[in-house]
Amino acid sequence: MDCVIEAADVWKMFRLYHDRAPTLKEQVLFSHRRKYDELWVLKGVDLKVEKGRTLGLIGQNGSGKSTFLKLLTRIIYPDRGNVKIKGKVSSLLELGAGFHPDFSGLENIYMNAAIFGLTKKEIDRRLEEIIDFSELEEFIDSPVRTYSSGMYMRLAFSIAINVDPDILLVDEILAVGDEGFQKKCFNKMKSFKSQGATIVIVSHSLGQLEMLCDELAWLHEGVLLEQGVPADVIGKYRTEVFAAEDRRAETKSRLQAEHVREEATPDPERNSLDDPEEGDIPIEITPPKRRGNGSVEITGVAFMDRSGRGKTRFESGEPCVIEMRCHKHKPVDNLVFGIAIYRNDDLWCYGTNTLIDRQPTDVQIMGDGIVVRVNIAKLNLVEGEYYLNVACSDGLATEYDYLVRCLDFTVYSQIKDVGVCRLEHRWEISGLNDRGAAVAAER
Amino acid sequence: MLSVLRELYAYREMYKNMVKRNLRTRYKASFFGFLWTFINPLLQLVVYSVVFSTIMRMNIKNYPMFLFVVLLPWIFFANTTQEATGLIVSNNNIIKKVYFPREILPLASTTAGLVNLGLSFLIAFVALLLFRIPLTLSLAALPLVMILEFIFTLGVSLLVAAITVYFRDVEHIWGILMMAWFYLTPIVYPLNVAPGKYLKYLFLNPMVTLTEAYRDILYYGVFPYFPGLGVFALMSCFVLVFGYLVFRRLSKGFAEQV
Repeated sequence: MDCVIEAADVWKMFRLYHDRAPTLKEQVLFSHRRKYDELWVLKGVDLKVEKGRTLGLIGQNGSGKSTFLKLLTRIIYPDRGNVKIKGKVSSLLELGAGFHPDFSGLENIYMNAAIFGLTKKEIDRRLEEIIDFSELEEFIDSPVRTYSSGMYMRLAFSIAINVDPDILLVDEILAVGDEGFQKKCFNKMKSFKSQGATIVIVSHSLGQLEMLCDELAWLHEGVLLEQGVPADVIGKYRTEVFAAEDRRAETKSRLQAEHVREEATPDPERNSLDDPEEGDIPIEITPPKRRGNGSVEITGVAFMDRSGRGKTRFESGEPCVIEMRCHKHKPVDNLVFGIAIYRNDDLWCYGTNTLIDRQPTDVQIMGDGIVVRVNIAKLNLVEGEYYLNVACSDGLATEYDYLVRCLDFTVYSQIKDVGVCRLEHRWEISGLNDRGAAVAAER
Repeated sequence: MLSVLRELYAYREMYKNMVKRNLRTRYKASFFGFLWTFINPLLQLVVYSVVFSTIMRMNIKNYPMFLFVVLLPWIFFANTTQEATGLIVSNNNIIKKVYFPREILPLASTTAGLVNLGLSFLIAFVALLLFRIPLTLSLAALPLVMILEFIFTLGVSLLVAAITVYFRDVEHIWGILMMAWFYLTPIVYPLNVAPGKYLKYLFLNPMVTLTEAYRDILYYGVFPYFPGLGVFALMSCFVLVFGYLVFRRLSKGFAEQV
């Protein structure tokens, strides 16, 4: 097959300078002293892209995908190995390169398109399309410095995308302009694809990549782990990323639980747990904000799936269990357990307690061993980041123990509905044609 | 080598634009705008005329013109190479963002300098006539000398442009170097004032041949010494190739250094 991009054993190193001062004097005097760390961002990447294919690059932050894209633009060069590229490359990495604020939009079109390697004739031919696409007809003769940032980006984007490249490089599908403009960009990219252009996209939006790409490549810490059909690669990537996140979260919640437990007998006047744990715990954890008189102490909190495995990522609608372990230090008259779920922007999404739910709580035993479970049949929150507060009190004014933001968790979903929670629903539309009705009936 | 030329040809529109922009932005936002290209040498000439005809009388006929016709080429060389020291760094916004043959930048800036020199010479021609110095057939050699100076200047520009990216001190060293070079070249003085035993060393300075050629053509109205120019031409080509090779090699790291 005809490969337009061929990267063979590509290594790239960046120097992280401790204190960058590359003057002649220092270069000469301190040549023996190394003032930088070497950071290998790419470690032997082999990648081929055939003509007309759309390749998506995925990977976590720092995996080297943007660096790889930059190597393809020939702005930077690999330290080892080589990159072969056939055809005209345009990138949507850095837009508006070489715009001069004092020149008009029109003059800047000529300048900017020329930097992409177009001749005057070629620019003339595309001029109308570029101006049309940018929606800047009225302002095209005004100096670019009078443009708003949105207009500036629209113009830059229109030029970059209208140079008709053989290879288009995209870093994050752009958030340029309003929704209408974004849609136009998306369509333009699709039409590129159908015209046989090769596209390489870096993105974190797996959904978009799955829609656009013919294949995906997964970079991890500078190494190419997988290249193949989008669905497969995404599957493996999701599993790995979520597993890693869960491992991290598990360590964190375990540490938090231990932290709570190892607290000495609570001081009744205590307001918060300020002093961080000493010792050889490698991860720094911020203790949750805490208040209460300590008659009953919450010693551990866990968010679990139905089988009792601790988790911090849930699919929307999944069953789950919140578990609290408590230690009763003093006899108390009334005991009320409560939970509250907040979105990470502090919106209160849900809260309930045993008093509201009329759940009896006459726990007789003293000391350790009180386990409270809240079984949630369906976690109907929409996709987002949330956190959990737990408390026990007398149901009136006295709080025994109140933990603010003791656990963070994430809800993900295939369905991209919005708001706070998902209401169970079903659509009914009258006047559908037969086929539509049949499809609806099947569902 | 051929592929390089082909690539430069493909980017000819950018080159044209960069030259235009270089010429236009120089005096952008000033009242006289592009006219400054003419006003600038004119005013310089007025100053020299006043100074050297009233305050500091020189023993050379039409001294202002003696100076002026070689000062203009010197300014082309000095300004262009000084500009080259900051060329890559000041264009970091495009260097870091898009690929294009980096040689375009020094090439465009040197071309703009050459265009400026040509326009300044228009003033010089008028002034020569006013000073009643005849313009002779020797003017036919002027384009050749200008092209040779262009080649030499381009070579030096490529060299300093690339090196300054890695050693920023060159920018300042170059200023001093240019001052020394200025006085080692017979611009304010005639070549024959130099003591005989140093004269042959003076000719190691390529700018001496060049300056003398300009002065022969414009001030004395005679054809320049062609064998000397031939040597200069060879050396200029060598400087250009050397400068280009260094530039090519160092240009791969520009985006990370600026």
